[in-house]
Amino acid sequence: MALLSAADAEQVRKLFSTMTSDVHLRLYTQRLNCDTCLEAERILSELSEQSDRLKVEVLNALTDAGRREADGVENVPALIVGDGSHGRIRFYGTPSGYEFSTLLTVITDAGTPGDRLEKPALDFLSSLAEDLLIRVFVTPTCPYCPRAAVTAARMAAASPRVRAEIIEANEFPDLSRRFRVQGVPRTVVNDLIYLEGALPEAAFARGLGLALPLLAKGEPVDMAALLSKPREEEESAGK
Amino acid sequence: MIGLVAGIVGQPSGPAGRRDVVIAGGGPAGLTAALYSARYRLSTVVLEGYQPGGQAALTDRIDNYPGVPGARGHELASLMRSQAVEAGAEIVPARAVRSVHSEEGFATETDSGTFESPVLVIATGAAPKKLGVPGEERLYGRGVSYCATCDAPFFRGRRVLVVGGGDSAVKEALHLAGYASSVTVVHRRDALRAEPVLASKLLKNPVCGVIWNSRLLEIRGGDGVESVLLETPGGPRELEMDGVFVYVGRRAETDPFRGLVELGDDGTVVTDGTVRTSREGVFAAGDVTGRELRQIITAAADGARAAAAAYDYLQHHPAAV
Ligand SMILES: Cc1cc2nc3c(=O)[nH]c(=O)nc-3n(C[C@H](O)[C@H](O)[C@H](O)COP(=O)(O)OP(=O)(O)OC[C@H]3O[C@@H](n4cnc5c(N)ncnc54)[C@H](O)[C@@H]3O)c2cc1C
Repeated sequence: MALLSAADAEQVRKLFSTMTSDVHLRLYTQRLNCDTCLEAERILSELSEQSDRLKVEVLNALTDAGRREADGVENVPALIVGDGSHGRIRFYGTPSGYEFSTLLTVITDAGTPGDRLEKPALDFLSSLAEDLLIRVFVTPTCPYCPRAAVTAARMAAASPRVRAEIIEANEFPDLSRRFRVQGVPRTVVNDLIYLEGALPEAAFARGLGLALPLLAKGEPVDMAALLSKPREEEESAGK
Repeated sequence: MIGLVAGIVGQPSGPAGRRDVVIAGGGPAGLTAALYSARYRLSTVVLEGYQPGGQAALTDRIDNYPGVPGARGHELASLMRSQAVEAGAEIVPARAVRSVHSEEGFATETDSGTFESPVLVIATGAAPKKLGVPGEERLYGRGVSYCATCDAPFFRGRRVLVVGGGDSAVKEALHLAGYASSVTVVHRRDALRAEPVLASKLLKNPVCGVIWNSRLLEIRGGDGVESVLLETPGGPRELEMDGVFVYVGRRAETDPFRGLVELGDDGTVVTDGTVRTSREGVFAAGDVTGRELRQIITAAADGARAAAAAYDYLQHHPAAV
């Protein structure tokens, strides 16, 4: 049975029909020790039927180890999405449920020219002096998650200094444990800056701007706490 | 496999502008209003905020929506969403910040531009109330959660506390029982407020227990929840705990509409009993109103009424369009 219903397929075709350039999708899977790889392959193969613009490549994480290492892929299934010029956006895990809408968004972004971010976020990115790895932990049943994931992906698309990893928290318990995920969305930047919940992109950019200078201490930085404190001071200072 | 939610997140900016009907809120009320409004051939935009599908998408199983027994919350919500889109409504991820009355009707400022319209439907629903106890804010996302559907898998084999005794608390406790090693419900009264079918399911579930006549005073822990402090009839009691899920009611999301329409003491939009508000041309639907029954079916019904009222209003005020 098809994963996409006829109505959904129609909606996806409509979305994709607005794309004006090719989108490259590279999926790494393996047959052994990967419960969800087949599902990821099926989703991708159904998606690729909805538009000629999608250039899909399915690689074996074990036999294509050279490519995998070049792409820095550490987990399977891994799906790298881009306009062909970079591999800075990836999904670890099956993009099902709400994550599927994230995937559709990232694909349409890649196939359509133009900025996806507003000025505050773009200004922040152009002033970046360091590289960022943004990991967004999500679950397929979390309706808030796509917001956080798409913001990270758009930052990665807009700046060569940013990489975004969208991680299905259930499928990678070790990663979830390592980054202490107990709720989604949880965003972790450069291993230490963390954020619970989704923020508007301007606030997220502002939070990153506040948090990055604190990284040198090597301690975890809670972005929400940073954003709630200085704002009051700023506002009262402004009056 | 939980199915696929087709749709797009956060559109490229620039969709703002004028429409016949602007609907703030993308839950069952807003989506149903959009479906009807689009079928009346009114140009219709839904500002869906950050939570597509609204609270309906936050619950795993819905057993009381007629015709769709055992519906999965996110599936029902996404069906409503695609049905509205099919009918011709536009759905944008903008969040309303403020709505004001203007010469040409209403101007709704959002985080992605201003939308103008002769008719406004307020369907921004409600958000979970916080308890306001020490530790709640600090440990949010680190054991404290308001969404069992999102976060239950992180508590596989662990101990969780559920605060509340209404429908949501009991339903979500039962959902958590599928993952956690123990689910303790703490409730202020000596009987559950939830509908009897749910209540008896909970009381029979071997994983679940209830602590009656008690309140949560504090959530303790360093980098995650470690214990909770309760006030019980027998005195204060500390219990070791890995997670806390809070279901103590909801607060209407009406801040953007303060000053535009009359709000009740609890922040809900005051209506004439159906969908008419204190201001002509503004209709309210679903959980934002003070309606006694706050369910998906009543929200959807309100949405249909709001669209019909909007259509009727535009017929009688052709100059507004
Ligand atoms: C855990 C839980 C379990 C439940 N179980 C059931 C059940 O089994 N059966 C049942 O019938 N009902 C159930 N309910 C209740 C039901 O979900 C609600 O009554 C219903 O969703 C209300 O619909 P609504 O459209 O009025 O508001 P909501 O569903 O709250 O939707 C509000 C929408 O407005 C958006 N929004 C908020 N602020 C803004 C803003 N400023 N600008 C733009 N958009 C905004 C949000 O993003 C969201 O899309 C449950 C609720 C919960 C929390």
